[in-house]
Amino acid sequence: MAKKYEFDYDLIVIGSGAGGSAAATIAAKNGKRVAIIESDTFGGGSPNWSDIPLKSLLHAANLYDEARHGARFGLRSATLGYNYPSIRAWKDLAVKRTGAGGNRKYYESQGIDTYAGLAHFLTPNEITVSRRHLSASYFLIASGAKWEIPKIPGLNTVKYLTPRTILEAIRPPKSLLVIGGGETAIEIAQLMAIFGTKVYVVEQSSHILPNHDSEVSDLMGRVLREQKGITIMAHSKVLSVEKDGLIKRVIVSQAGTEKSIRVDEVLVALGREPQVDLGLDNAGVKYTAAGIKVNNLLQTSVKHIYAAGEVLGRNSHTHTALIESQIAANNMFEKTKISPDYSKITEVIFTYPGIATVGLSEYDCIKRDLAINKAIAPLSIIARSNTSDFRDGFVKIVTDKKGVILGGTVVAPHAAEIIHELSLAVQHGLTAYQIAETPHAFLSWSEAVKVAAAKLVP
Amino acid sequence: MTLSVDVIKRGDRRQPEKFQRQKLHASIVAACLSVRTPEGQAEAVAHAVCDAVVAWLEDHPEVTSQDIRIIATKHLHTHHPEAAYLYEQNRITI
Repeated sequence: MAKKYEFDYDLIVIGSGAGGSAAATIAAKNGKRVAIIESDTFGGGSPNWSDIPLKSLLHAANLYDEARHGARFGLRSATLGYNYPSIRAWKDLAVKRTGAGGNRKYYESQGIDTYAGLAHFLTPNEITVSRRHLSASYFLIASGAKWEIPKIPGLNTVKYLTPRTILEAIRPPKSLLVIGGGETAIEIAQLMAIFGTKVYVVEQSSHILPNHDSEVSDLMGRVLREQKGITIMAHSKVLSVEKDGLIKRVIVSQAGTEKSIRVDEVLVALGREPQVDLGLDNAGVKYTAAGIKVNNLLQTSVKHIYAAGEVLGRNSHTHTALIESQIAANNMFEKTKISPDYSKITEVIFTYPGIATVGLSEYDCIKRDLAINKAIAPLSIIARSNTSDFRDGFVKIVTDKKGVILGGTVVAPHAAEIIHELSLAVQHGLTAYQIAETPHAFLSWSEAVKVAAAKLVP
Repeated sequence: MTLSVDVIKRGDRRQPEKFQRQKLHASIVAACLSVRTPEGQAEAVAHAVCDAVVAWLEDHPEVTSQDIRIIATKHLHTHHPEAAYLYEQNRITI
């Protein structure tokens, strides 16, 4: 009979964020011996320094901004101000209340052994953490990603900010240049602009939010420029950064013309870089700088090592990482294997108006050569836009030729809530007709979904 | 500050040993000299690569000899691609 090897654990999870926590908890609840290793703060990025702190700051900022513009409703808000240390205290409270930040004790209460330190594979079944050797029959790599720092001359000689460090700033800077025009970059640009910062956004592609349909980027570009005074520099590239007294001088190339911009702070929010410095070569796991390669069961090139979350190099959100983590746990210990379905995952950007998408975008359909119908309902045609005096937004629905909803985009206040009607439709293959015949409450933003769906009914 | 890093040898057949910068330095100089690099340049390249490896090791108290070779090769590629190729292939040849 073949010799059965004994390991310290059934499962070792590397990373305690969304990609690791679900699998660790599920396995422990099923009686497995589990260890979790974290090299930074337990809980990972989402509760500690990205989603929760940023969204709690955005909530305060949006309240302030709405109140400040309340004169048109008869409100006297000219003297309204803010106290940034108190806003930071609110953010810290929100992080603390979430309970997921610094949650080492939670894991221990679940019978999961916790280790703080950098995990490094020595062999396919053995890792070292702070000189301690641990072995397991299964591993889940959920080490996440960190902000990519581009090789811009002079950038390393100045003290630049990242989306993580800017949330700990004592006060908003007077002026800020944001390198990158993606989701997080735009959320922070709007946040800082609300607090009075003069913001410049430098984006290499032709428009901000390059992964979204042009209607979204055009509308958000206009809102940010006209309402928040943000200078958006598309088709632009930062050539160099240098210190100029107390401030920073940034040379930007815009359509072949060089411009010099003097700002207090520079924020680098270009993209995320998977954390693959884990001795993966020692384990035989195939990877590139863009992420770990996995099959549709989230298994790496070594069959007992799985990976989930941002380390895969996909544009991953917390809810996507959680789904992957649950799937990885299932595939390790259950006979019935499952695969993640990325086509129905909702993506949300917490700007104002918010942006939410689900399923296939129009561009995705064009790339796949799918025959589609599309309809857009601007917010201005529904009654709520009148009572709220807000018209910048729309609902866009894409269907196949039979009317089955393939995807949708919502740009509106509360977009993160509105989108779930379309998520349900995409998940269950509902038609535009079924959405259009569903009663929608008068004066709700969701009426725009019904109007867009009705446009697609022949 | 002295760096205390344990290097686990290939195949785990031998006892781990402490990381020795001069040993790495010598191997990189040898790789550079093998592709007819002037001695001074070989020393400078080895110095730069060793600095990069030592910086990486600061977060890694225990590594394998393969790890050191991979990291050294990665940095050697930027300084001297020809020597890096030789350095990378050397283990396979042996």
